[in-house]
Amino acid sequence: MNVLDASELVKRYKRTTAVDGVSLTIAASERVALLGANGAGKTTTLLMLLGAITPDEGTVTVLGHRLPGGRSEAMERVGFAAGYLPLPTRLRVREVLAYFANMHGVADPDPAIDAGLERFRIPHLADAMATELSSGQRTLVGIIKATLHRPRLLVLDEPTASLDPDVAHRVRVGLEETCDAHSSALLVTSHNMTDVERICERVVFLSHGRVVADGPPASVARQFGRANLEEVFLHIASEERI
Amino acid sequence: MAGAIDLLRVKAVIRRQRFVQLRAPQRWFDVIIWPMVDTVIWGSIGLFVDQQGGAGRAGTPYMLSGILLMHVMYQANVSMSCGFLDETWSRNLVNLMVSPLREIEFLAGLMVMSTVRLVAGLAAVAFAAWLLFSFNVTSAGWGLIPAVAILMLVGWVIALLVMALVLRFGDGAEILCWGLLFVIIALSGAFYPISAMPGLLQPIGRLLPSTHAFEAARRLLDGQPMPWGLIARGAAGVAVAVPVAAAVLWRTLHLFRDRGYITRYS
Repeated sequence: MNVLDASELVKRYKRTTAVDGVSLTIAASERVALLGANGAGKTTTLLMLLGAITPDEGTVTVLGHRLPGGRSEAMERVGFAAGYLPLPTRLRVREVLAYFANMHGVADPDPAIDAGLERFRIPHLADAMATELSSGQRTLVGIIKATLHRPRLLVLDEPTASLDPDVAHRVRVGLEETCDAHSSALLVTSHNMTDVERICERVVFLSHGRVVADGPPASVARQFGRANLEEVFLHIASEERI
Repeated sequence: MAGAIDLLRVKAVIRRQRFVQLRAPQRWFDVIIWPMVDTVIWGSIGLFVDQQGGAGRAGTPYMLSGILLMHVMYQANVSMSCGFLDETWSRNLVNLMVSPLREIEFLAGLMVMSTVRLVAGLAAVAFAAWLLFSFNVTSAGWGLIPAVAILMLVGWVIALLVMALVLRFGDGAEILCWGLLFVIIALSGAFYPISAMPGLLQPIGRLLPSTHAFEAARRLLDGQPMPWGLIARGAAGVAVAVPVAAAVLWRTLHLFRDRGYITRYS
Protein backbone atom coordinates (compact mmCIF):
# COMPACT_ATOMS: atom_id res chain seq x y z
CA MET A 1 0.00 0.00 0.00
CA ASN A 2 1.21 3.50 -0.76
CA VAL A 3 1.77 5.68 2.28
CA LEU A 4 0.72 8.72 0.28
CA ASP A 5 -1.61 9.21 -2.68
CA ALA A 6 -2.19 12.74 -3.87
CA SER A 7 -4.10 13.33 -7.06
CA GLU A 8 -4.37 16.47 -9.21
CA LEU A 9 -3.85 18.96 -6.41
CA VAL A 10 -4.63 22.56 -7.22
CA LYS A 11 -4.22 25.55 -4.92
CA ARG A 12 -4.96 29.08 -6.01
CA TYR A 13 -4.28 32.19 -4.02
CA LYS A 14 -5.63 35.64 -4.89
CA ARG A 15 -3.19 36.52 -7.65
CA THR A 16 -1.48 33.23 -8.36
CA THR A 17 -1.88 29.51 -8.79
CA ALA A 18 0.65 28.08 -6.34
CA VAL A 19 0.02 24.42 -7.17
CA ASP A 20 -1.44 23.42 -10.50
CA GLY A 21 -2.35 19.75 -10.85
CA VAL A 22 0.31 18.00 -8.79
CA SER A 23 -0.07 14.24 -8.37
CA LEU A 24 2.27 12.32 -6.12
CA THR A 25 2.39 8.81 -4.74
CA ILE A 26 4.94 7.50 -2.26
CA ALA A 27 5.39 3.81 -1.58
CA ALA A 28 6.30 2.35 1.81
CA SER A 29 9.96 3.00 2.69
CA GLU A 30 10.48 5.07 -0.46
CA ARG A 31 12.67 8.19 -0.17
CA VAL A 32 11.48 11.05 -2.33
CA ALA A 33 12.72 14.61 -2.73
CA LEU A 34 10.37 17.39 -3.77
CA LEU A 35 12.53 19.96 -5.55
CA GLY A 36 12.12 23.32 -7.17
CA ALA A 37 13.11 26.95 -7.00
CA ASN A 38 11.67 29.31 -4.40
CA GLY A 39 7.99 29.81 -5.15
CA ALA A 40 7.70 26.62 -7.19
CA GLY A 41 4.95 25.36 -4.85
CA LYS A 42 6.85 22.91 -2.64
CA THR A 43 5.76 24.15 0.78
CA THR A 44 2.14 24.66 -0.29
CA THR A 45 2.16 21.11 -1.66
CA LEU A 46 3.61 19.74 1.60
CA LEU A 47 1.08 21.62 3.70
CA MET A 48 -1.74 20.22 1.57
CA LEU A 49 -0.35 16.71 1.96
CA LEU A 50 -0.32 17.26 5.74
CA GLY A 51 -3.85 18.66 5.94
CA ALA A 52 -2.87 22.19 7.01
CA ILE A 53 -4.08 23.67 3.71
CA THR A 54 -7.19 22.45 1.91
CA PRO A 55 -6.65 21.98 -1.82
CA ASP A 56 -9.08 23.75 -4.16
CA GLU A 57 -9.11 20.61 -6.29
CA GLY A 58 -7.75 17.10 -5.97
CA THR A 59 -7.54 14.53 -3.21
CA VAL A 60 -5.01 13.48 -0.58
CA THR A 61 -4.96 10.06 1.08
CA VAL A 62 -2.35 9.36 3.74
CA LEU A 63 -1.94 5.79 5.00
CA GLY A 64 -5.43 4.97 3.81
CA HIS A 65 -7.04 8.00 5.48
CA ARG A 66 -8.62 10.55 3.17
CA LEU A 67 -8.00 14.17 4.20
CA PRO A 68 -9.39 16.33 5.62
CA GLY A 69 -11.79 13.98 7.46
CA GLY A 70 -9.11 11.44 8.42
CA ARG A 71 -6.42 14.02 9.21
CA SER A 72 -5.94 13.14 12.89
CA GLU A 73 -5.73 9.38 12.28
CA ALA A 74 -3.37 9.88 9.33
CA MET A 75 -1.05 12.21 11.21
CA GLU A 76 -0.62 9.70 14.04
CA ARG A 77 1.83 7.88 11.74
CA VAL A 78 3.33 10.91 10.03
CA GLY A 79 6.26 12.96 11.32
CA PHE A 80 6.98 16.52 10.22
CA ALA A 81 9.87 18.90 10.79
CA ALA A 82 10.89 22.11 9.07
CA GLY A 83 14.29 23.74 9.36
CA TYR A 84 12.74 27.20 9.53
CA LEU A 85 10.31 26.51 12.38
CA PRO A 86 11.23 27.38 15.97
CA LEU A 87 10.51 25.02 18.84
CA PRO A 88 7.82 25.81 21.42
CA THR A 89 8.89 28.36 24.01
CA ARG A 90 9.34 27.77 27.78
CA LEU A 91 10.15 24.09 27.36
CA ARG A 92 13.35 22.11 27.79
CA VAL A 93 14.40 19.84 24.93
CA ARG A 94 13.21 16.69 26.68
CA GLU A 95 9.87 18.35 27.40
CA VAL A 96 9.45 19.45 23.77
CA LEU A 97 10.12 15.91 22.63
CA ALA A 98 7.75 14.41 25.22
CA TYR A 99 5.07 16.92 24.21
CA PHE A 100 5.12 15.89 20.57
CA ALA A 101 5.57 12.19 21.38
CA ASN A 102 2.41 12.37 23.50
CA MET A 103 0.63 14.11 20.63
CA HIS A 104 1.44 11.09 18.48
CA GLY A 105 0.26 8.57 21.05
CA VAL A 106 3.57 7.65 22.72
CA ALA A 107 2.64 7.41 26.41
CA ASP A 108 6.16 6.69 27.72
CA PRO A 109 8.45 8.64 25.41
CA ASP A 110 11.68 8.60 27.48
CA PRO A 111 13.32 5.55 25.81
CA ALA A 112 12.58 6.93 22.34
CA ILE A 113 13.81 10.39 23.37
CA ASP A 114 17.09 8.99 24.72
CA ALA A 115 17.59 6.89 21.58
CA GLY A 116 16.85 9.88 19.32
CA LEU A 117 19.21 12.20 21.17
CA GLU A 118 21.95 9.53 20.97
CA ARG A 119 21.32 8.90 17.27
CA PHE A 120 21.84 12.59 16.45
CA ARG A 121 24.68 12.90 19.00
CA ILE A 122 23.06 15.54 21.21
CA PRO A 123 22.24 13.75 24.51
CA HIS A 124 23.86 16.66 26.37
CA LEU A 125 21.06 18.97 25.19
CA ALA A 126 18.25 17.05 26.89
CA ASP A 127 17.86 19.61 29.67
CA ALA A 128 18.65 22.74 27.67
CA MET A 129 15.88 25.26 27.06
CA ALA A 130 14.67 24.79 23.50
CA THR A 131 14.81 28.51 22.75
CA GLU A 132 18.52 28.64 23.65
CA LEU A 133 19.61 26.19 20.96
CA SER A 134 21.59 27.13 17.87
CA SER A 135 19.80 26.76 14.55
CA GLY A 136 21.66 23.51 13.86
CA GLN A 137 20.77 22.05 17.27
CA ARG A 138 17.18 23.16 16.80
CA THR A 139 17.03 21.37 13.45
CA LEU A 140 18.33 18.16 15.00
CA VAL A 141 15.79 18.35 17.83
CA GLY A 142 13.06 19.04 15.27
CA ILE A 143 13.96 15.90 13.34
CA ILE A 144 14.08 13.81 16.53
CA LYS A 145 10.66 15.25 17.41
CA ALA A 146 9.34 14.04 14.05
CA THR A 147 10.66 10.50 14.45
CA LEU A 148 9.87 9.53 18.09
CA HIS A 149 6.67 7.72 17.14
CA ARG A 150 8.28 5.65 14.35
CA PRO A 151 6.34 7.36 11.57
CA ARG A 152 5.42 5.48 8.40
CA LEU A 153 5.94 8.74 6.52
CA LEU A 154 8.48 11.36 7.49
CA VAL A 155 8.03 14.79 5.89
CA LEU A 156 10.88 17.28 6.15
CA ASP A 157 10.86 20.81 4.76
CA GLU A 158 14.37 22.17 4.19
CA PRO A 159 16.01 20.10 6.95
CA THR A 160 19.58 21.07 6.07
CA ALA A 161 19.00 24.74 5.25
CA SER A 162 21.75 26.95 6.73
CA LEU A 163 23.47 24.10 8.57
CA ASP A 164 27.23 23.73 8.76
CA PRO A 165 28.70 20.65 7.01
CA ASP A 166 29.10 18.70 10.24
CA VAL A 167 25.49 19.15 11.35
CA ALA A 168 24.23 18.55 7.80
CA HIS A 169 26.20 15.30 7.80
CA ARG A 170 24.64 14.28 11.12
CA VAL A 171 21.19 15.04 9.72
CA ARG A 172 21.84 12.87 6.66
CA VAL A 173 23.28 9.94 8.61
CA GLY A 174 20.63 10.17 11.33
CA LEU A 175 17.84 10.33 8.75
CA GLU A 176 19.12 7.28 6.89
CA GLU A 177 19.46 5.33 10.15
CA THR A 178 15.98 6.38 11.28
CA CYS A 179 14.30 5.53 7.98
CA ASP A 180 16.09 2.16 7.89
CA ALA A 181 15.25 1.36 11.51
CA HIS A 182 11.55 2.25 11.23
CA SER A 183 11.02 1.43 7.53
CA SER A 184 9.79 5.00 7.18
CA ALA A 185 9.08 6.57 3.84
CA LEU A 186 10.66 10.00 3.43
CA LEU A 187 9.42 13.08 1.61
CA VAL A 188 11.92 15.91 1.80
CA THR A 189 12.34 19.32 0.23
CA SER A 190 15.81 20.75 -0.08
CA HIS A 191 17.92 23.13 -2.10
CA ASN A 192 20.99 21.03 -1.43
CA MET A 193 21.23 18.68 -4.41
CA THR A 194 24.18 16.79 -2.93
CA ASP A 195 22.09 15.83 0.10
CA VAL A 196 19.22 14.82 -2.15
CA GLU A 197 21.38 12.58 -4.32
CA ARG A 198 22.78 10.89 -1.24
CA ILE A 199 19.51 10.31 0.59
CA CYS A 200 16.74 9.97 -1.99
CA GLU A 201 16.07 7.33 -4.60
CA ARG A 202 13.52 9.46 -6.43
CA VAL A 203 13.16 13.16 -7.13
CA VAL A 204 10.13 15.17 -8.18
CA PHE A 205 10.81 18.59 -9.70
CA LEU A 206 8.18 21.31 -9.47
CA SER A 207 8.08 24.41 -11.60
CA HIS A 208 5.24 26.95 -11.60
CA GLY A 209 3.28 24.56 -9.40
CA ARG A 210 3.54 21.66 -11.84
CA VAL A 211 5.53 18.44 -11.85
CA VAL A 212 8.12 18.73 -14.62
CA ALA A 213 10.21 15.65 -13.78
CA ASP A 214 9.75 12.55 -11.66
CA GLY A 215 12.19 9.65 -11.36
CA PRO A 216 15.53 8.47 -10.00
CA PRO A 217 18.12 11.28 -9.78
CA ALA A 218 20.33 9.86 -12.52
CA SER A 219 17.49 9.37 -15.00
CA VAL A 220 16.09 12.86 -14.32
CA ALA A 221 19.55 14.30 -14.99
CA ARG A 222 19.68 12.31 -18.26
CA GLN A 223 16.17 13.46 -19.20
CA PHE A 224 17.39 17.06 -19.10
CA GLY A 225 20.77 16.26 -20.66
CA ARG A 226 22.63 17.35 -17.52
CA ALA A 227 25.41 15.77 -15.52
CA ASN A 228 23.71 15.98 -12.10
CA LEU A 229 20.72 17.33 -10.16
CA GLU A 230 22.44 20.63 -9.41
CA GLU A 231 22.56 21.39 -13.13
CA VAL A 232 18.96 20.25 -13.60
CA PHE A 233 17.90 22.52 -10.77
CA LEU A 234 19.70 25.52 -12.30
CA HIS A 235 18.21 24.75 -15.71
CA ILE A 236 14.65 24.54 -14.36
CA ALA A 237 15.13 27.61 -12.18
CA SER A 238 16.43 29.66 -15.11
CA GLU A 239 13.45 28.61 -17.25
CA GLU A 240 11.15 29.62 -14.38
CA ARG A 241 12.66 33.13 -14.37
CA ILE A 242 11.89 33.42 -18.09
CA MET B 1 -13.89 17.97 15.51
CA ALA B 2 -15.12 14.48 14.82
CA GLY B 3 -13.61 11.47 16.56
CA ALA B 4 -12.94 10.49 20.13
CA ILE B 5 -10.95 12.75 22.44
CA ASP B 6 -7.47 11.38 23.15
CA LEU B 7 -6.68 12.12 26.80
CA LEU B 8 -2.94 11.77 26.25
CA ARG B 9 -3.04 14.67 23.83
CA VAL B 10 -5.20 16.73 26.19
CA LYS B 11 -2.68 16.07 28.99
CA ALA B 12 0.16 17.11 26.68
CA VAL B 13 -1.56 20.46 26.05
CA ILE B 14 -2.13 20.92 29.80
CA ARG B 15 1.50 20.08 30.60
CA ARG B 16 2.75 22.54 27.98
CA GLN B 17 0.49 25.29 29.39
CA ARG B 18 1.64 24.49 32.93
CA PHE B 19 5.27 25.00 31.93
CA VAL B 20 4.40 28.27 30.20
CA GLN B 21 2.66 29.48 33.36
CA LEU B 22 5.41 28.38 35.73
CA ARG B 23 8.31 29.67 33.63
CA ALA B 24 6.92 33.03 32.57
CA PRO B 25 6.99 35.39 35.56
CA GLN B 26 4.93 37.97 33.71
CA ARG B 27 2.05 35.48 33.58
CA TRP B 28 1.75 35.70 37.36
CA PHE B 29 0.93 39.38 36.96
CA ASP B 30 -2.29 38.43 35.18
CA VAL B 31 -3.17 35.71 37.66
CA ILE B 32 -2.21 37.28 41.01
CA ILE B 33 -1.03 40.89 40.87
CA TRP B 34 -3.59 42.40 38.50
CA PRO B 35 -6.59 40.95 40.42
CA MET B 36 -5.16 42.31 43.69
CA VAL B 37 -4.53 45.77 42.18
CA ASP B 38 -8.11 45.79 40.88
CA THR B 39 -9.35 44.86 44.32
CA VAL B 40 -7.51 47.80 45.87
CA ILE B 41 -8.77 50.27 43.24
CA TRP B 42 -12.42 49.21 43.18
CA GLY B 43 -12.60 48.44 46.89
CA SER B 44 -11.28 51.93 47.65
CA ILE B 45 -13.79 53.53 45.27
CA GLY B 46 -16.54 51.59 47.01
CA LEU B 47 -15.29 52.69 50.41
CA PHE B 48 -15.24 56.31 49.26
CA VAL B 49 -18.84 56.05 48.01
CA ASP B 50 -19.81 54.50 51.36
CA GLN B 51 -18.20 57.41 53.19
CA GLN B 52 -20.31 59.84 51.16
CA GLY B 53 -23.35 57.90 52.36
CA GLY B 54 -24.89 57.87 48.89
CA ALA B 55 -25.19 54.16 48.18
CA GLY B 56 -26.96 52.76 51.15
CA ARG B 57 -23.50 51.92 52.47
CA ALA B 58 -23.32 49.01 50.01
CA GLY B 59 -20.64 50.49 47.76
CA THR B 60 -17.75 48.36 48.99
CA PRO B 61 -19.47 44.96 48.75
CA TYR B 62 -20.93 45.88 45.33
CA MET B 63 -17.56 46.90 44.02
CA LEU B 64 -15.71 43.95 45.52
CA SER B 65 -18.22 41.37 44.35
CA GLY B 66 -18.13 43.10 40.96
CA ILE B 67 -14.35 42.84 40.75
CA LEU B 68 -14.43 39.22 41.89
CA LEU B 69 -16.96 38.28 39.23
CA MET B 70 -15.29 40.42 36.59
CA HIS B 71 -12.12 38.42 37.19
CA VAL B 72 -14.03 35.21 36.56
CA MET B 73 -14.64 36.42 33.02
CA TYR B 74 -11.19 37.98 32.76
CA GLN B 75 -9.26 34.89 33.83
CA ALA B 76 -11.43 32.49 31.83
CA ASN B 77 -10.99 34.59 28.68
CA VAL B 78 -7.36 35.68 29.00
CA SER B 79 -6.06 32.25 30.07
CA MET B 80 -7.69 30.53 27.15
CA SER B 81 -6.95 33.21 24.56
CA CYS B 82 -3.32 33.51 25.65
CA GLY B 83 -2.94 29.72 25.57
CA PHE B 84 -3.78 29.93 21.88
CA LEU B 85 -1.80 33.12 21.29
CA ASP B 86 1.27 31.45 22.83
CA GLU B 87 1.23 29.03 19.92
CA THR B 88 1.03 31.86 17.39
CA TRP B 89 3.71 33.94 19.15
CA SER B 90 6.11 30.98 19.20
CA ARG B 91 5.13 29.97 15.62
CA ASN B 92 4.15 26.56 16.90
CA LEU B 93 0.83 26.63 15.06
CA VAL B 94 2.23 24.77 12.05
CA ASN B 95 3.55 21.97 14.27
CA LEU B 96 0.14 21.63 15.94
CA MET B 97 -1.84 21.73 12.72
CA VAL B 98 0.16 18.90 11.15
CA SER B 99 0.00 16.80 14.32
CA PRO B 100 -2.87 14.44 15.21
CA LEU B 101 -4.14 16.99 17.75
CA ARG B 102 -7.84 17.67 17.26
CA GLU B 103 -9.26 21.14 17.83
CA ILE B 104 -11.51 19.88 20.63
CA GLU B 105 -8.50 18.33 22.43
CA PHE B 106 -6.58 21.59 22.23
CA LEU B 107 -9.57 23.52 23.58
CA ALA B 108 -10.14 20.97 26.36
CA GLY B 109 -6.53 21.36 27.51
CA LEU B 110 -6.85 25.15 27.48
CA MET B 111 -10.11 24.99 29.43
CA VAL B 112 -8.53 22.90 32.19
CA MET B 113 -5.62 25.32 32.56
CA SER B 114 -8.00 28.26 32.33
CA THR B 115 -9.97 26.84 35.28
CA VAL B 116 -6.80 26.42 37.34
CA ARG B 117 -5.76 30.03 36.64
CA LEU B 118 -9.30 31.18 37.39
CA VAL B 119 -9.23 29.57 40.83
CA ALA B 120 -5.83 31.16 41.55
CA GLY B 121 -7.05 34.59 40.41
CA LEU B 122 -10.23 34.40 42.47
CA ALA B 123 -8.23 33.32 45.50
CA ALA B 124 -6.06 36.43 45.05
CA VAL B 125 -9.11 38.71 44.92
CA ALA B 126 -10.76 36.96 47.86
CA PHE B 127 -7.62 37.22 49.96
CA ALA B 128 -7.05 40.90 49.14
CA ALA B 129 -10.74 41.74 49.80
CA TRP B 130 -10.62 40.00 53.17
CA LEU B 131 -7.25 41.45 54.20
CA LEU B 132 -7.80 45.04 53.06
CA PHE B 133 -11.56 45.54 53.31
CA SER B 134 -12.70 42.78 55.70
CA PHE B 135 -14.99 41.56 52.96
CA ASN B 136 -15.87 37.90 52.99
CA VAL B 137 -16.60 36.70 49.45
CA THR B 138 -18.61 33.78 50.79
CA SER B 139 -21.12 36.18 52.37
CA ALA B 140 -23.31 35.86 49.29
CA GLY B 141 -23.45 32.11 49.89
CA TRP B 142 -23.40 29.17 47.50
CA GLY B 143 -25.79 31.01 45.25
CA LEU B 144 -22.78 32.68 43.67
CA ILE B 145 -21.68 29.41 42.09
CA PRO B 146 -24.19 29.44 39.20
CA ALA B 147 -23.34 33.08 38.52
CA VAL B 148 -19.62 32.19 38.47
CA ALA B 149 -20.31 29.30 36.08
CA ILE B 150 -22.19 31.57 33.67
CA LEU B 151 -19.42 34.16 33.73
CA MET B 152 -16.75 31.52 33.16
CA LEU B 153 -18.63 30.31 30.09
CA VAL B 154 -18.99 33.89 28.83
CA GLY B 155 -15.21 34.27 29.24
CA TRP B 156 -14.66 31.15 27.16
CA VAL B 157 -17.11 32.36 24.52
CA ILE B 158 -15.09 35.56 24.17
CA ALA B 159 -11.89 33.47 23.93
CA LEU B 160 -13.35 31.35 21.12
CA LEU B 161 -14.27 34.53 19.22
CA VAL B 162 -10.80 36.00 19.79
CA MET B 163 -9.21 32.81 18.42
CA ALA B 164 -11.45 33.00 15.37
CA LEU B 165 -10.54 36.65 14.80
CA VAL B 166 -6.79 35.95 15.13
CA LEU B 167 -7.06 33.03 12.70
CA ARG B 168 -8.95 35.20 10.24
CA PHE B 169 -7.08 38.51 10.54
CA GLY B 170 -3.68 37.49 11.93
CA ASP B 171 -1.77 38.54 15.02
CA GLY B 172 -3.00 42.13 14.80
CA ALA B 173 -6.36 40.95 16.12
CA GLU B 174 -4.85 39.77 19.40
CA ILE B 175 -5.60 43.16 20.99
CA LEU B 176 -9.24 42.04 20.97
CA CYS B 177 -8.40 39.47 23.63
CA TRP B 178 -8.54 42.31 26.13
CA GLY B 179 -10.57 44.86 24.15
CA LEU B 180 -13.59 42.66 23.52
CA LEU B 181 -13.60 41.55 27.15
CA PHE B 182 -13.77 45.08 28.53
CA VAL B 183 -16.54 46.03 26.11
CA ILE B 184 -18.59 43.09 27.38
CA ILE B 185 -17.79 43.93 31.00
CA ALA B 186 -18.91 47.54 30.50
CA LEU B 187 -22.15 46.50 28.80
CA SER B 188 -22.86 43.82 31.42
CA GLY B 189 -23.00 46.20 34.36
CA ALA B 190 -20.32 44.46 36.39
CA PHE B 191 -20.30 47.26 39.00
CA TYR B 192 -23.71 48.84 38.48
CA PRO B 193 -27.23 47.82 37.51
CA ILE B 194 -27.82 48.30 33.80
CA SER B 195 -30.57 50.77 34.67
CA ALA B 196 -27.64 53.11 35.44
CA MET B 197 -26.35 52.79 31.87
CA PRO B 198 -27.32 55.12 28.98
CA GLY B 199 -30.74 54.10 27.70
CA LEU B 200 -29.35 53.34 24.26
CA LEU B 201 -27.06 50.66 25.64
CA GLN B 202 -29.47 48.99 28.05
CA PRO B 203 -31.13 46.68 25.46
CA ILE B 204 -27.69 45.44 24.43
CA GLY B 205 -26.80 44.83 28.07
CA ARG B 206 -29.96 42.80 28.61
CA LEU B 207 -28.99 40.49 25.75
CA LEU B 208 -25.73 39.51 27.44
CA PRO B 209 -25.82 36.47 29.74
CA SER B 210 -23.17 38.07 31.93
CA THR B 211 -25.55 40.96 32.79
CA HIS B 212 -27.95 38.55 34.50
CA ALA B 213 -25.14 36.84 36.40
CA PHE B 214 -23.81 40.15 37.77
CA GLU B 215 -27.32 41.25 38.74
CA ALA B 216 -28.00 37.91 40.45
CA ALA B 217 -24.82 38.31 42.49
CA ARG B 218 -25.82 41.81 43.63
CA ARG B 219 -29.23 40.57 44.79
CA LEU B 220 -27.61 37.78 46.76
CA LEU B 221 -25.33 40.33 48.43
CA ASP B 222 -28.42 42.34 49.36
CA GLY B 223 -29.66 39.27 51.21
CA GLN B 224 -32.44 38.51 48.73
CA PRO B 225 -33.40 34.91 47.92
CA MET B 226 -31.72 33.07 45.05
CA PRO B 227 -32.76 34.92 41.86
CA TRP B 228 -33.47 31.84 39.77
CA GLY B 229 -35.09 33.87 37.03
CA LEU B 230 -31.88 35.80 36.40
CA ILE B 231 -29.79 32.64 36.57
CA ALA B 232 -32.12 30.96 34.08
CA ARG B 233 -31.83 33.92 31.70
CA GLY B 234 -28.05 33.86 31.99
CA ALA B 235 -27.93 30.10 31.44
CA ALA B 236 -30.19 30.38 28.40
CA GLY B 237 -27.89 33.07 27.04
CA VAL B 238 -24.76 30.91 27.33
CA ALA B 239 -26.67 27.93 25.93
CA VAL B 240 -27.00 29.99 22.76
CA ALA B 241 -23.64 31.80 22.88
CA VAL B 242 -21.39 28.74 23.35
CA PRO B 243 -22.54 26.85 20.23
CA VAL B 244 -22.60 30.06 18.19
CA ALA B 245 -18.99 30.90 19.19
CA ALA B 246 -17.89 27.31 18.55
CA ALA B 247 -19.52 27.43 15.11
CA VAL B 248 -17.79 30.73 14.30
CA LEU B 249 -14.41 29.24 15.29
CA TRP B 250 -15.10 26.05 13.34
CA ARG B 251 -16.06 28.01 10.23
CA THR B 252 -13.00 30.24 10.57
CA LEU B 253 -10.73 27.20 10.86
CA HIS B 254 -12.14 25.94 7.56
CA LEU B 255 -11.48 29.34 6.02
CA PHE B 256 -7.96 29.31 7.54
CA ARG B 257 -7.21 26.02 5.81
CA ASP B 258 -9.01 26.96 2.57
CA ARG B 259 -7.10 30.21 2.16
CA GLY B 260 -3.74 28.81 3.30
CA TYR B 261 -3.38 31.33 6.15
CA ILE B 262 -1.07 28.84 7.89
CA THR B 263 1.70 30.20 5.66
CA ARG B 264 1.66 33.33 7.87
CA TYR B 265 3.25 31.16 10.54
CA SER B 266 5.68 29.13 8.40
